[in-house]
Amino acid sequence: MNARLTDLDSCATEPIRVPGAIQPHGRMLVLDAASGVEVAHSANWADAAQRVAALAALSRRALDLPDGESPAALGQVSIGGEELDASAHRLGGHVIVEFEPATVDRGTQAPIYSLARHFLPQLQRTRSVEDLLRLGVRELKRLTGFGRCLAYRFDSEGHGQVLAEALDEGYESYAGHHFPASDIPAQARALYCLNFIRLIADADYVPVPLESLDAGLAPTAIDLSLAGLRSVSPVHLEYMRNMGTRASMSVSIVVRGQLWGLVSCHDRDTRFLSFPTRAACEHLGRLLSVQVEAAEEHAQGEQRHELRELTLHIIAQRTDLDASLLGLVNEPAPMLRLARAAGVAVVLNDVCRSYGEVPPAAEILGLAEWLRHRGDEVFQSDRLAEIWPAAADWGDVGAGVMAIAISQVHRHVILWFRTAVVQTITWAGRPYKEVRAEGRIQPRRSFESWKEELRGRSLPWTSAESAAARELRQSLIGIVLRRAEELNEVASELGRVNKELEAFSYTVSHDLRAPMRHIAGYVDLVLDTESDSLGEKSRRYLQHVKDASAYSGRLVDALLDFSRMGRTAIKPGAVDMVALCGEIARELTRFEAGRTIEWDISPALPTLHADPMLMQVAMRNLMGNAVKYSRDRAVTQVHVIPVERGGHAGLEVVDNGVGFDMRYVDKLFGVFQRLHQSDQFEGTGIGLASFRRIVERHGGEVWARGVPGEGARFGFVLPDKMEEMI
Amino acid sequence: MLKPILLVEDDVRDLELTLVALERSELANDVVVVRDGAQALDYLRRQGEFAARPAGNPAVVMLDLKLPKVDGLEVLKVVRETPELRSLPVVMLTSSHEEGDVVRSYALGVNAYVVKPVEFKAFVAAIADLGIFWAVLNEPPPGSTKAARRLG
Repeated sequence: MNARLTDLDSCATEPIRVPGAIQPHGRMLVLDAASGVEVAHSANWADAAQRVAALAALSRRALDLPDGESPAALGQVSIGGEELDASAHRLGGHVIVEFEPATVDRGTQAPIYSLARHFLPQLQRTRSVEDLLRLGVRELKRLTGFGRCLAYRFDSEGHGQVLAEALDEGYESYAGHHFPASDIPAQARALYCLNFIRLIADADYVPVPLESLDAGLAPTAIDLSLAGLRSVSPVHLEYMRNMGTRASMSVSIVVRGQLWGLVSCHDRDTRFLSFPTRAACEHLGRLLSVQVEAAEEHAQGEQRHELRELTLHIIAQRTDLDASLLGLVNEPAPMLRLARAAGVAVVLNDVCRSYGEVPPAAEILGLAEWLRHRGDEVFQSDRLAEIWPAAADWGDVGAGVMAIAISQVHRHVILWFRTAVVQTITWAGRPYKEVRAEGRIQPRRSFESWKEELRGRSLPWTSAESAAARELRQSLIGIVLRRAEELNEVASELGRVNKELEAFSYTVSHDLRAPMRHIAGYVDLVLDTESDSLGEKSRRYLQHVKDASAYSGRLVDALLDFSRMGRTAIKPGAVDMVALCGEIARELTRFEAGRTIEWDISPALPTLHADPMLMQVAMRNLMGNAVKYSRDRAVTQVHVIPVERGGHAGLEVVDNGVGFDMRYVDKLFGVFQRLHQSDQFEGTGIGLASFRRIVERHGGEVWARGVPGEGARFGFVLPDKMEEMI
Repeated sequence: MLKPILLVEDDVRDLELTLVALERSELANDVVVVRDGAQALDYLRRQGEFAARPAGNPAVVMLDLKLPKVDGLEVLKVVRETPELRSLPVVMLTSSHEEGDVVRSYALGVNAYVVKPVEFKAFVAAIADLGIFWAVLNEPPPGSTKAARRLG
């Protein structure tokens, strides 16, 4: 059985707000708020006459108090020869009046003024949370005389850690100790938010029951949440005795409506605090709360500002440099600093790029997939293995993860990894209570410190860090969307231009070709029919007209082929380059029957992922060029060899032809660019432009090397598959 | 009597060169020339100015793709949709290499698609081959007579 659960369950049933009893160092009257008539009283009044006298001595003000506020001083009353401090508050239809032994009115020496004089000026000069708490415990100790004052802060799980203490000699130090969340049950926490101060003047006290004058009103129906005399849970008194504490007081520190921490005071002796002193303590607690909130916000503001700058820097890099999210990993320093992480990874579908201390890529991909299904915009955990068990095998790497999802549809995730830190927690006693044989919960008896090591956890992610991650996510999504929009615009513009180009080519193919044909046709007719009457010169001239028109016809055809190559859709498949090159080599050899051509086609040529038709055009251009430009050689040698560049496969065609001057290498691939006079080597000047266009449409890369008189080499590589560009 | 060849051509120079080519191919068939798609349809349906022509389909239609009024593809479409004309051989003669035109022509049921070569000798050879194939060698659908090639 889980002892902690039992504890919380039992404590949850303790009637802490309606105990039906008070501590014995004061007396109580409960009045009907509407009529002012007494409905109940504590059992420690001497007689009814005393109560009537007390009631008569009260000012009418008691009935005009606003509901739910903490007790207000009503001044001193003299009852049965005894001077009493009266205070009252109104809650849930009752006005509760409390009487406690009076203190001497110290006028301007009253605790609340001393607080203003001593404490406030120092408070203003203090910046850090720790210093504020140190100041607070010192002042509280001075005001109350408690032997030990501890200030602790609760973490996200409710465990308290002592951040400041002030003690008298002989009191055990709890500095740095942790108090388990189970020490303060949930309903007690809620009460601490409502009532900022709680005093137990003597842990050995015998509760004084409330007595009701109205049979319809049970004493345990009177809400004492705000009463200073409220009797506390016997479990708590036992806890105090185990701790060696006779008197205790708690002052709440409430930040943004949450119980942020407590100042807890203990003494080995009883300690009765007057109403004005308690009011000063409560006031101190409220001042501390305000200052802690301001200090935290200031610190967070500074951190936010710093993280914002970092985010902006990262975003600026994105827009300047390459578009891909994967590029975030190229400059990892700001990314790591943003989340104080040891490693960072970007997942784009099946691609994972990372830097620093990260789990294996396959594991990151798995985690990213899991995160995508969770659907959080920002995910964070400082103990990933507890919810994603696979992480348990990673060792210390990736104990903590923060992640942002860039897309809801695709697996586009950015992840930060923190390594495990072994945290040693010094508990004030073993943080588990035991259940006694009779089933009653027993508070911890040991307050010896007990060390516990927490493994498999990283430092927790702060709210500023998750806010920065969220902002980065927003900005990146903005960039991605904008880019998509731009791409869309470019695509539609391209589509329009393409359509125009298509219409243009169509016109050219019909209207430009026809006149060429007519010129060629009529010249032929003249040469045929008038051959005898034409002079030698005229026949030569007409032959030139005929050749020129035939050439321009071929030119138009080549140009149209080239433009079609850029327009038709690529239909990729596996292309066996050994087979393809062999076939082209045989074809070219047939055309050049009179020549000696030595082909050396490497059997190691790769199989490429490409459009087979286009790849054939590209290779025919390359190999055709190699043969054409080496026609002066007695033996033409053409080698086709495999090449690998940047992880991509391709090939190179090497010839022993006329070569070219590298100064003009940039002109080689242009349309109609020729490096040789046309009567030397025929051609339309489009072959290499076609070759480059085909390769580039496949996402590949071309190159050329040449030495005049020695030969040329032309090569290309293609990506394995069309890589997704984002 | 031999069935005629119907030549649909709007460009005068193309028309002259095609006629020269047909002449050199020594086909015995008459050549009926119309200058646009509307005229071609009138001829084939024996309507308008051709309402009085004797019945009977030509041996083959040589159809230019780009024509005024009704273009070659439209003519082809009507021919294939008209029961009496459906089996008529139609050859598309065009300047265009455009893939789209070729695809559309075959989709509409063209019998052959010929891009007119720039060089005249090649052009003459192409026209002659077409004429001989469709007007002489091709086995026409039952009920029509096959043309005999006049030699010499």
